[in-house]
This record gives sequence, C-alpha cells and structure tokens, in this order.
Amino acid sequence: MGKSRQCAESCVDYLALELVHHYRTQLQGPSLQAALDAVGERAGRQLAERCARDRAPLLEQLEAVKFICKEFWGEVFRKAVDNLRTNHRGTFVLRDTQFRWLVRLSQNQMPAQLGQPLPAPAAKADLAADFLLLPCALVRGALAQLGWDAAVTADAASLPQVDFTVVMRQQVQR
Amino acid sequence: MIVAVAVVGPINQPLYLSTFTDDESARLSTLVHCSLDAVEEKVAAGMRGVTTDVPDAYLGVLAVEEECKVYGFVTNTRTKLIVVVDDPLIKDDEMRAIFRRMHTAFADAVSNPFYVLGTPLVSPRFDASVRTIATSLGAAA
Repeated sequence: MGKSRQCAESCVDYLALELVHHYRTQLQGPSLQAALDAVGERAGRQLAERCARDRAPLLEQLEAVKFICKEFWGEVFRKAVDNLRTNHRGTFVLRDTQFRWLVRLSQNQMPAQLGQPLPAPAAKADLAADFLLLPCALVRGALAQLGWDAAVTADAASLPQVDFTVVMRQQVQR
Repeated sequence: MIVAVAVVGPINQPLYLSTFTDDESARLSTLVHCSLDAVEEKVAAGMRGVTTDVPDAYLGVLAVEEECKVYGFVTNTRTKLIVVVDDPLIKDDEMRAIFRRMHTAFADAVSNPFYVLGTPLVSPRFDASVRTIATSLGAAA
C-alpha cells in the first residue's frame, strides 16, 4: 500500500463552507437540511468504519459516545470534545469550547453597496445554523454505523463554543 | 491456505464472497452461513459477560468441517469478516494479522462514494487486495 496522503486543514474548512453555499443557491429550508444531512450521514458512516478500526469492541452506549468524543472528534475536528454530560437515560451533551469549523465565523456582513452603513450584525446562532447541519449529520452517521440510532442537534448560542445534544433512540437490531 | 473469504453485514446480509479453490463455492457459502450462528453466540456471550476475557473483535475458530476451519472477526460496525482455511497449523497471531489487513481493505472499499452501504460489494480493487492477502498466507507458511 502507498504512503497515506495528506492535505492542508484549510482544504476541509473551505470544502465545508463551499458545500453549504452551493446547496444554499439551489435549496432552502427543509430541503437544504435534507441535502446536507444526506451528505453528512454518508460521510459519517464511512468515517466510523475507518476510525473504529483496530479498537476494542464498543459494546456499551457510553463507550460509543466516548469514542465519538475522543477518537472521532480528533479525526474530524482535530481536537477532542471538552465536556461530556449525560442524564444516564440516553441523552448526552457534548461541549466543544473551540469548535474549529466555526471559530472564524464573523457576525459582520458587508453592506449592499460600498459607502453605505454596515447592516446590524445578525445573531450568531442563526448564522451558524446552516453550517452546523453537516457536523450533526456526521455524528449521526457515525453513531448509526456503530449501531445506535440517535438524533443530534447543535446549539451555538455562545460561539465559538458549540453544544451538541445527542438523544439515543432504540438500539439498531444487532 | 485460505480457501474462502466472506464479508457479512450488520443484519447478516451477505456483502462479499470469494473462493480460492477450483470448485465447491456452494458448499463454502453454506459453510459460511452456518458459521454465522456461532458468531451470534460468541458476540452474545461477550455482551453478557459470560467469559472473563476482555471483549475481542477476533472471534477465533467458529466451526470445523472436514479439513476446513472457519475463523471470524467482528468489526465495531458489526460487519463480520469470515475466513475459511484448510491449513491445520495456522496460528492465532497469523489469523489476527490477516483480519487486520482485510479490515483495512474493507474500510478502503467502503470509502468509495459510489458504493451503497449494505449492498453487495463489487470492487476490483477489493478483489485484488483480498487475493493478495489470501495468497500471502500460503507463501509465508
């Protein structure tokens, strides 16, 4: 087998941004969400297959979530999750205090024409909503491939910190 | 030497089967499917904590039929890799190495964006990798 090839991290950043912009030109609202969900889920499944290789079996729900917090997050978002909370009844909150994909998200937008005053800054949470669809889908796809059906949502009220809430549904039939 | 290699998906759907002897592909595929029961037993035993061993992805010998032994390996994504061997002197370490290489080849094949997960795997590159792994066993012995 050949040596593993690598590319600059900025390529992943730009690709993620361009993905959202591309679909935004064609779709709005629920269908935009569905398109990004589909892309992310597929990629999440493939990444899980690759990342979970050569590891001890992940039999427990908590082990699977811890795998996502450490190994999976490290592979995809280049760091580990900073804080994991659970209610021990299937709901987990993964907190990433410096979410790398959104660290440079700016609230300021350009005015329609040069010389006009800047428009009021939009709420960061709204701006980030579309860009968080892909990471949520990646996590959902990875968990699905590991055998856990889950719903993943993200809360970006205080960027650059992002809270991902994972609600586990029924375990997929083994 | 390795006689057959099979990949079975999470809901026990057959994804891939490749045989390396001249005939008997029907007998070998039946053998592979019968060994799936043994896989379920071992995985269930591991989950119940019946054995005191650390849970392991490598399942060891699943079944023995005539001169052939069937070895199994379960990935974290519940894909099963099954290998049928007719060499009685094969060691566990060798089999673990074989499964590791096969898992790598499988992860590469699954990364193909045109492959639909859960459907039969048709990939010339995966065929070639499996063939290389299978023949390397005979050569190293």
